[in-house]
Amino acid sequence: MLRVQDLVTAYGKIEALKGVSLEVAQGSITCLLGPNGAGKTTLMMTVAGLLKPRSGSIRFLDRDIASLPPHAIVSRGIALVPENRLVFPGMNVLENLRAGAYQRSDAFDEDIDRVFTRFPRLKERSAQLAGTLSGGEQQMLAVARALMSRPKLLLMDEPSLGLAPLVVEEIFRIIAELHREGSTIFLVEQNAHMALRVAQHFFLIEQGRVTFSGDPGSLAEDEVIRRAYLGSAR
Amino acid sequence: MALLADFIQNTLDGLTAGASYALLALGFTLIFGVLRRANLSYGPAILFGAYCATWISASFQVGLLVLFVITVGGTVLAGAYVERLCFAPHRRGSAIAAMVASFALWMQFEELATLALPRHLYGFPALYEGGPLIFGPFFLRVESVVMLLTGIAICAALWAILYRSRFGTAVRAVIDDPAAAELSGINVPRVFIQVFALASAIGGLTGFLIVSSQEQVTPMLGMWSTLKGMLAMMLGGLGSLPGAVAGGLALGLLEAHSQWYLGPQVRDLLAYLLLFVLLALRAPWMSTRSAY
Repeated sequence: MLRVQDLVTAYGKIEALKGVSLEVAQGSITCLLGPNGAGKTTLMMTVAGLLKPRSGSIRFLDRDIASLPPHAIVSRGIALVPENRLVFPGMNVLENLRAGAYQRSDAFDEDIDRVFTRFPRLKERSAQLAGTLSGGEQQMLAVARALMSRPKLLLMDEPSLGLAPLVVEEIFRIIAELHREGSTIFLVEQNAHMALRVAQHFFLIEQGRVTFSGDPGSLAEDEVIRRAYLGSAR
Repeated sequence: MALLADFIQNTLDGLTAGASYALLALGFTLIFGVLRRANLSYGPAILFGAYCATWISASFQVGLLVLFVITVGGTVLAGAYVERLCFAPHRRGSAIAAMVASFALWMQFEELATLALPRHLYGFPALYEGGPLIFGPFFLRVESVVMLLTGIAICAALWAILYRSRFGTAVRAVIDDPAAAELSGINVPRVFIQVFALASAIGGLTGFLIVSSQEQVTPMLGMWSTLKGMLAMMLGGLGSLPGAVAGGLALGLLEAHSQWYLGPQVRDLLAYLLLFVLLALRAPWMSTRSAY
């Protein structure tokens, strides 16, 4: 569904991605693990169009999307739940959801109902300003907002970052639920233990390069965790 | 009794001037809130629109409505020129570069205006030919009533646009977080252009009301509009739309009263002094980041 090939993204002279190739299969949960600074967020932002790659290709449903602006990538069916849950703090919960459905020309009241069923806390707080929500609620809202565009592929950048264990459980329960309903999810995580429980496939990224790719069972979990947190000594 | 009558009359005059300042400040604030950049050429773009209309009115026999359309159209055109040259190239770049570039265009507009119409003062057709309305001891110019009502109507329309329309959702999302807005599928560069056009149209409308009430234009209109608009915007707290309205009205009232009681020399001094004191004391509403 998503095929990234030899992708190079740089900040000035510093290459954060040094030729990354990976694939996300339709209907799967694919996970990208790696230590801080390995290039995980850079990859997500490049796929979503916020960063322009220096070279390489990004193909989505067999069309090249590497040169498209972010709003055009959303309209192709990719939505990113960004790191640090960038909600619109001065808008209330309902308005945040409407902004997520910005490109929809059809009626989306049904989607709002569905999102509220999935996230009952958001329904209770639908008139509350997003900036006043707790961290967990903001993360729920960020996911809900991304779902409003009815994405074919959902990108999630560290959805569990800085959240309490119970909230992390809840987030992963929702990820599994979305997957059961047919969504394709590409997930960046530091929490390797949780990620490997839901993913069908994972990639390890270290210093801007993919260093391992396989099923959750194909590498001992402690080895994955060691490399995901510390990077392999080379 | 006479004291009270003076006070009320000054308040009425202050509110009228304040309504025009509030409208100018609203245009500034819209651009500042969305782009986070000061557009010094906002006033000079209004000057360009007003001079287009003055030139047409000096050469042809046309009605007020046509002059209104030309003023607004000319201002929007000049605003588009400013956006393309100063703000589109610097969207992710330096705010200072954009501001300095907008200053350069200010000079262009003034030079162009004085090249086409070199005299210092030109007459402009009057908005209303008749005399003022008289209520007992009070005088109220019909132009003032129009200015006040327009101010209220623009505020109401802006509120409806920002809070009740799809476009408004996009504008507020961009103000809140441009990156998150892009990720939500909002075409952010297009929102910039639309907001610029909206702010320029409000500027053109305000400029038309000002020059047709004063029945004259001078090349000072550009600088005057930028200064009054920015001063009102800063008094109300940089980047807040309700603040822009409050700042504009406060500035108008302050000017009207200080001119009456302290004389015209003190009038402008006092406004800048107030801004200085508020900034020095860090008035609580001045630290707001949100633009609505």
